[in-house]
Amino acid sequence: MITAERKPMAEIRAMLAPYRKILVVGCGSCVAECASGGEKEVGLLASALRMDAKIEGRTIEVREMTIDRQCVYEFIDQLTGIADRYEIILSLGCGAGVQAVAEVFPKMLVIPALNTTFIGETKEPGLWVENCRACGDCKLGYFAAVCPVTRCAKGLFNGPCGGSKNGVCEVDPDSPCAWQLIIERLENAGRSDLLEAIYPPADWSRQQGKGPKKIVREDQRSEG
Amino acid sequence: MKADSNLKSILANNNFAVTAECGPPKGADPGVIRKKGAVLKDHVDSVNVTDNQTGAVRLSSMAACAILKQEGLDPVLQMVTRDRNRIALQSDVLGASSLGIRNILCLSGDHQSFGNQKEAKGVFDLDSIQFVQAVRRMRDEGRIIGGEQLSDPPRLFIGAVANPFADPFDYRVVRLAKKVAAGAEFIQTQCIYNLKRFAEWMRQVRERGLDKKVFILGGVTPLKSVRMAEYMSRQVAGMDVPDGIINRMRGVDPKDQRREGIRIAVETVGALKEMEGVHGVHIMAIEWEDVVPQIVEEAGLYPRPRTSEE
Amino acid sequence: MDQKTAGLNIAIFFCRQLDANQDKNRRAIEKELGLRIRFFPLPCSGRIELLHLLRAIEAGADVVYLVACPEGACRYREGNLRAKRRIMFAQKLIEEIGLEGARIEMVNKTAEMPADIGAIAMELLARDAKVSISPVRSNAVASFIEK
Repeated sequence: MITAERKPMAEIRAMLAPYRKILVVGCGSCVAECASGGEKEVGLLASALRMDAKIEGRTIEVREMTIDRQCVYEFIDQLTGIADRYEIILSLGCGAGVQAVAEVFPKMLVIPALNTTFIGETKEPGLWVENCRACGDCKLGYFAAVCPVTRCAKGLFNGPCGGSKNGVCEVDPDSPCAWQLIIERLENAGRSDLLEAIYPPADWSRQQGKGPKKIVREDQRSEG
Repeated sequence: MKADSNLKSILANNNFAVTAECGPPKGADPGVIRKKGAVLKDHVDSVNVTDNQTGAVRLSSMAACAILKQEGLDPVLQMVTRDRNRIALQSDVLGASSLGIRNILCLSGDHQSFGNQKEAKGVFDLDSIQFVQAVRRMRDEGRIIGGEQLSDPPRLFIGAVANPFADPFDYRVVRLAKKVAAGAEFIQTQCIYNLKRFAEWMRQVRERGLDKKVFILGGVTPLKSVRMAEYMSRQVAGMDVPDGIINRMRGVDPKDQRREGIRIAVETVGALKEMEGVHGVHIMAIEWEDVVPQIVEEAGLYPRPRTSEE
Repeated sequence: MDQKTAGLNIAIFFCRQLDANQDKNRRAIEKELGLRIRFFPLPCSGRIELLHLLRAIEAGADVVYLVACPEGACRYREGNLRAKRRIMFAQKLIEEIGLEGARIEMVNKTAEMPADIGAIAMELLARDAKVSISPVRSNAVASFIEK
């Protein structure tokens, strides 16, 4: 999933300062799973905004809405006829959601309430970890399903640097050394041969070659 | 100006090589480099210049190497992949050769989070092994990554590093083998305090026959104090300072600890001289370059052999 | 009633396991204080939600208590421990908008405390107040009058 964290209240408050009619929009997909932008979080933020305004003696109007996906038109369309009654949309979607909503409502200002952080997994309740950088050229097949691009602090393709000690990374002792994991998993799978191979330089053009990436699937395109 | 690498000549003639490390200043004063160069010149074969070590901004390694070259030394240009992508790295490799620099040491570099620019974007477009391979192909095939032909290839003696003290231990020799396969011609190791572990690593190196394919220079760093020993042991990952060494430092009066640190360094150099497959030492006296001549002399490695080209 | 928190609106979330007769036992104090006190029984304190706590403050509570079983004595093992983390998180949330974290408080029942939720509420009301009337409430009234 795409993970995100709520921005500090002070930053949200500063961005909202000029506006009194606010539509707070959550997303029921990834950011709901990582407890940053789902229905509950929309409720919490809206409540905090209302109280904040009351404390300062301001009157604001806040409406809460959470749609299933903030990055897909059909879902965003649920805001049609509602959005234009507000001065601003405060989105609790990921960066993709914020921009998709803005595209659907070209005349409206949309501001993010979240900092989109990474693509990751729910490791334990309340713990999310990054494990994909969307490099566009998945190499997990060579690295025993442990991504060196993401999980090695230096993104090394050819083995651990000199900072691997007792299975952890010198950069963050709370993180396992990705290469320790790769080596163990390849050895356990009887594929130590892959450890001897020199992996060539990556093709980063697949990640950032010509600006934003696109996927085109002819079978899913509409006519005309 | 010497046409070839002094380090390469020394090693090719079966001499036990001595290199030292020179850290550039956190400022623009070329005098600091000249002074360090003058201290080291007669006592070592080549001088490494670190590349923004620990991720802290310093005078560039390339400029410092050019200055040392002017002073008649044989510099080893350290280049890390942390700060430059493949375009800049390959460009600087050509630039270094054009300045008469004849040795390069390819590393990934300390992570930027350790330095004084923690917010920097770590590049790591290539890793150290890919970088070694790229430089080797530039030199031997005259081609850059992707295959395009150079008008004139760089002339460089190509080195890499090895850390026998990091984990997983058994993979360390595999990684060395990969560096050799990628084209490394000499290796400088992490500082050695745990001679037992180093000897075990060297046994694995010989078992694979790697000591016949690459020149290995053992790293030696004189300790200044028991505090430095403790710091390195506890705070620096991939550094192995055994309790025996720490206790030995602690056992002497603080004002004699530098002397004891030198003694340990000299003994380590002595042990490395006797170890099969070790071709030299690399003395990294951190901000203490003027102790290097003393260590070299006490270890019986002075005077240095003169190569024919001089 | 000896009430040090006089004038304050109190919301009490509590674990139903604490008092089998909670329905009956809170009637007297509810009658006495009327809208100034609100009880919210939960099947376990672990079921408390951040939103419950914030909404209570937003609705005009000056102090919100969560009364839970003693640590180690949760029927569902760690419900009250999870609740404790949520209380701490909620305190941080209200501090971000300038409210005192002390407006939200977790109370783990002790052996000395009565078993009756009404009596527990009396004890809480008799404590020295850590906060005064909430600015959420006072300013809401003020702005209402201005209109």
